[in-house]
Amino acid sequence: MAEEKIFQVNNLTKFFPIRSGLFSRVSGHIRAVDSVSLQVEEGLTMGLVGESGCGKSTLGRTMLNLLSPTGGEALYRGQDVYQLDARSLRELRKEMQIIFQDPYSSLNPRLNVGEIVGEALRVHGITSSKSETQEKVEHILKVCGLAPYHIRRYPHEFSGGQRQRIGIARALVLNPKFIVADEPIASLDVSIQAQIVNLMEELKEQFGLTYLFISHDLSMVRYISDRVAVMYLGKIVELADTHELYKEPLHPYTEALISAIPTIDPVAKKERIILKGDVPSPANPPSGCYFHPRCPYAFSRCKVEEPEFRNITGSRYASCHLL
Amino acid sequence: MSKLLQVENLSTTFYTEDGMVPAVRGVSFHLDYGESLGIVGESGCGKSVSCLSVMRLIPKPGEMTADNIDFEGKDIVSLRERQMQQIRGNDMAMIFQEPMTSFNPVFTIGYQLQEAIRLHQKMNKHDAKEKSIDMLRQVGIPRPEKVVDNYPHSLSGGMRQRAMIAMAISCQPKIIFADEPTTALDVTIQAQILELIGELKEQTNTSVVFISHDLGVIAEMVERVIVMYSGIIVEQSDISSLFSNPKHPYTIGLLHSKPRIDDERAKLKPIPGSVPNPLDLPQGCPYNPRCEYVMDICRNKLPDMYEIDKNLHQARCWLYA
Repeated sequence: MAEEKIFQVNNLTKFFPIRSGLFSRVSGHIRAVDSVSLQVEEGLTMGLVGESGCGKSTLGRTMLNLLSPTGGEALYRGQDVYQLDARSLRELRKEMQIIFQDPYSSLNPRLNVGEIVGEALRVHGITSSKSETQEKVEHILKVCGLAPYHIRRYPHEFSGGQRQRIGIARALVLNPKFIVADEPIASLDVSIQAQIVNLMEELKEQFGLTYLFISHDLSMVRYISDRVAVMYLGKIVELADTHELYKEPLHPYTEALISAIPTIDPVAKKERIILKGDVPSPANPPSGCYFHPRCPYAFSRCKVEEPEFRNITGSRYASCHLL
Repeated sequence: MSKLLQVENLSTTFYTEDGMVPAVRGVSFHLDYGESLGIVGESGCGKSVSCLSVMRLIPKPGEMTADNIDFEGKDIVSLRERQMQQIRGNDMAMIFQEPMTSFNPVFTIGYQLQEAIRLHQKMNKHDAKEKSIDMLRQVGIPRPEKVVDNYPHSLSGGMRQRAMIAMAISCQPKIIFADEPTTALDVTIQAQILELIGELKEQTNTSVVFISHDLGVIAEMVERVIVMYSGIIVEQSDISSLFSNPKHPYTIGLLHSKPRIDDERAKLKPIPGSVPNPLDLPQGCPYNPRCEYVMDICRNKLPDMYEIDKNLHQARCWLYA
């Protein structure tokens, strides 16, 4: 597949300061995203997996310039999104949108659906009249599996799955090219998750979208993604085509993650790798390879030297001294 | 195996400002000694409320009724509150989903463990402390003599859930109700906790009722499953035939909603629509508005449980009448 790069991220870093004491002096940093490089090809879905606190949401938001980076660059079609002036950034925002995890807190309860979805159209001056806005909103609601009469209802009148559809409609109404979906199905019931994932797949086909699909649900990521990046403590430890990654994980962390997926087939009990201990604090990461305290294969070199994130074969990247 | 718990026709109703919410409607099941039973269903299907009802932990204005809840010859429904307190914690224990909110934040882990131990076992403070350290060690908490004096907030989610399990098993209960014990945890931590529960069950031969919305977790943890929808049991089966030969359209729909590991590009087939509002339940089978096999009778009359495989597999669906 020779798709064009829509996003190229180089050494992107985002640290959050920890303030403490009387004068709120900065006493340390949470290394949420720690020199991450990756590229997203147009028209494909990039899955981003990792455990809570690994920095996957921060990476997604920093890429969209919703958080300003500590260092590094993010090129959208060759343009660094951090170097743009306010006006060009505003133009760019139409092309990059985000879908949030929690459809309960990401919709303003005081606005009705028409206002929520139509707001972006008004802000960007895409529609010139009220009737035009309404027409566009009704159309996009229909595309997202809602009915036109929903336009005058408020978020509390909808179920979780329907609210997520509103969130998707809001992202889609500007006709974007790139969407960061930040755990879009995590707070939904199983039967509704499948509805939303199928909807996202259909929309991708219909509008030629590119997704960055952030999730901790490894089986859903496998289902929806073409490529997958695995994050651990702010760093990407492995990046590969979905099929290869799940068939033969290279990094020990990926291997453990995949072996930990509970399978539906009770006959095929597989060998499970149980990682010891918890994820270390991103404020005080371990020396050398961040994963070494939990890694079943760690040896002396892992404690002192940080492995380089490098190309292993073809389109596979990983950072591990074993490779 | 003989029966440890027998529940017959359990119903639990909550009275709210908007009206009566029938959370559980006529549920019957049993649990054998040393058995692990799974209850699976989506949020609001009544799986947690069923277990809370068996422990008689339904707060007012909720109300629970049952023809019979037999626990080792004792009728749970007619017991006095004092007698129930003897059973709760001692014979039946619960592991809750959110270990952050189920511990009291102002007492140390050790204090809360000792409270449970001293309430049910005649023990002085010193012995109770020893025992609580011992329990924490059993569930794999490092440096238990330190952790025992820690407050809940200083433990990670996985460690807190381990402490919760230590509390649940501290009085060697006969039944443990595990209510979504790993839902709030990360995958690698979930694997740790599931392994721990499995090990403890092997060692002590405790019966476990495992509540989860995750079919994968259920498949790994239990021998027999109950599928609940809208407050009723729609299917009951041993684990292998539920996954190889699901009968109720809802169970089939649930299984098709999850990506299969063995079949990579099998399309997801979601269940259309959403769970009915408990204030306004449909007539007949509660699944009929979403069911692809719906017939006229489904809209009028709730089906019985029909035998698919004698004593092993039953489904509540007119297709098998």
